Amino acid sequence: MEIRISDNVSIMDKLGILSDAAKYDVSCSSSGVERKGDGTGIGNAAAGGICHSFSSDGRCISLLKILFTNECIYDCKYCINRKSNDVPRASFTPDEICALTIEFYRRNYIEGLFLSSGILYHPDYTMELIYLAIYKLRTEYRFQGYVHVKAIPGTDPLIIQKLGLIVDRMSVNLELPTAQGLSELAPNKHRKNILAPMRQIQQGIQHSKNDMVVYKKAPSFVPGGQSTQMIIGATPESDYQIMTVAENLYQKFDLKRVYYSAYININEDKSLPALPGGPPLLREHRLYQADWLLRFYGFRSNELLSDEKPNFNILLDPKADWALRHLEQFPVEINRADYHSILRVPGIGVKSAQRIVRARQNGLLGFADLKKIGVVLKRALYFITCSGKMMYNTKIEEDYITRNLLTVKEKLPFDRDGITYKQLSLFDDMNFDPGDRLTGQLFDGPSVILGQI
Amino acid sequence: MELYLICEDSLEGIFSGVYAAYAVKRPHQEIHLLVGEEENLRLFAEYQEVPADKDKAAKVARTINREFGTEGYLALCRALASADAEKGEAIYKMIVKGLSMKDPRQVMGNLPDPHVMKVFELARYSANEAHFLVEFLRFRELENKILYAKIGPKNNIITFIMPHFADRLPLENFIIHDEKRDIFALHPSRKDWYVVTGENAALPEALAQGFSEDEKKYSELFTHFFHTIAIKDRKNLALQRNMLPLRYREYMTEFL
Repeated sequence: MEIRISDNVSIMDKLGILSDAAKYDVSCSSSGVERKGDGTGIGNAAAGGICHSFSSDGRCISLLKILFTNECIYDCKYCINRKSNDVPRASFTPDEICALTIEFYRRNYIEGLFLSSGILYHPDYTMELIYLAIYKLRTEYRFQGYVHVKAIPGTDPLIIQKLGLIVDRMSVNLELPTAQGLSELAPNKHRKNILAPMRQIQQGIQHSKNDMVVYKKAPSFVPGGQSTQMIIGATPESDYQIMTVAENLYQKFDLKRVYYSAYININEDKSLPALPGGPPLLREHRLYQADWLLRFYGFRSNELLSDEKPNFNILLDPKADWALRHLEQFPVEINRADYHSILRVPGIGVKSAQRIVRARQNGLLGFADLKKIGVVLKRALYFITCSGKMMYNTKIEEDYITRNLLTVKEKLPFDRDGITYKQLSLFDDMNFDPGDRLTGQLFDGPSVILGQI
Repeated sequence: MELYLICEDSLEGIFSGVYAAYAVKRPHQEIHLLVGEEENLRLFAEYQEVPADKDKAAKVARTINREFGTEGYLALCRALASADAEKGEAIYKMIVKGLSMKDPRQVMGNLPDPHVMKVFELARYSANEAHFLVEFLRFRELENKILYAKIGPKNNIITFIMPHFADRLPLENFIIHDEKRDIFALHPSRKDWYVVTGENAALPEALAQGFSEDEKKYSELFTHFFHTIAIKDRKNLALQRNMLPLRYREYMTEFL
């Protein structure tokens, strides 16, 4: 392949090309690191992360999300930058990246830099260029804000080790949930090469934490943790497979976040699915809901789904769905039950549950109090009692509650703009798929993930 | 007869009001705190103005800090910044409630109490708006390299956001201007920040100059970035509006 580096592209066009090429990377967060400025440069980091704007797709703009270059030697079928695509190509210089970051940062446009890249010549070559740019930003420009770098699979571990000491977060994209999907759609990438740097970063973080116990000033390695993303809907995995993979990544690789990205049809390719209804946003939404249940609500993936029921209900959110299948655990008495039982009630979130546990120390709580505290009573009322009483005379019966929950329209983050809205029909549910593709022959779960290391 | 104490809209004013309310030694449910002018005077009520007093306010502040701890004190300060007309009453009654509790440090957890709830809501509103401004405030560079940002918040939160920017941009000279209240917060390079109110005439002159050349370049670059980063297959203006309310956009570079 001939590499075309066009040096005479204006900075405006470069920014256009290289942000356009980076936009399919989902990760946007700037969280996980609390760092005050040291007064000699520019920038700090807030543990909660800060979003600075929201683009017209409703996603947050937190970091200056760009590629170093969109040249690439790989030919992944789903990617806009694959080498067989005829798109304008451009590359930044380290100085351009530094100037853009600093000037955007001082105007409070951004929280830091997100730098990913296509592969120029070789992963090592590209990662070295990225290292140079970040090193310059940290030392010459004294930038102390947030930096998130994508690690390219196949890079020399030494480069990753050095880079990890000057960035806040690193991520390696899993790309597709199973190794089989990966080999079909990204023939140049191998699951093993993706998991190896992930493991390296995990161990680096652990070492650095251990060192910091011994002496406080020890250099911190990727203090913001690592994340990954996978594309949903390009390959025929079930939700259960995806959730199991995610759960394993959280447990075995200590990931901070797993991002799910509804597959968007960018390239025409016979091995890619056609999506006449637009990207599978509802499915992506359900996966994120379940992801939250795993991370903050103490659920396990095999509680939410099973081999017999491998996909989420499109009509109900995963938590309500779980509750309806476990009515024997309800109703929960708000004034007595422990925090974890309260957390499992549909309509009660982490904040409400914490407030309930705290507020009930001062006296018994009634339904009016719960409303003020922020509990969504129209969902929760079927599952709770206050001082032994239900709110209304409701039955604890699956059909009855399901019917009532369905009349309360669920608030989805998309459905008003006409873009993704469609009448729900029974056949949207993957369970109704006539084909037999969900019977689990693709299933690879933990054994494959771990087996490949 | 009910007693209405009218106090000045400031931390000192309201705390002095609380001090005065305790000093009259009458049942608390008969006493109410008003901030600023009352529009509808009640027939069977006594009105009394309370002048702001630094020493009395300091005493109240000390008691609150000691009894409620940092969480309660911070919540009160945030509620004080609110634009809500009933904040004086809510703060006063919340202090009364808190001091009557077995453990006053748990006062903010006592949400079933309507006054604590009110203070909690006001504090949350101020804190949320301060966070929005930390996110959405935009600096523009003047010809003399000073960064200038204009804001128009509903609550008086300029002092809550200054520490954040002062820590973030220690080497910059920057000014944040609350145009609704005519308050300027200034941060000189490598020095502490301070606040000036609009009567200081020297300020607008320093701001009279135009924006720098670089400003035009980078605002155009960012606006371009803002548009290219959106995925058009996922266009969702309602979600964007939820996350970024329209009232902030009139101050934001990418929407100008």
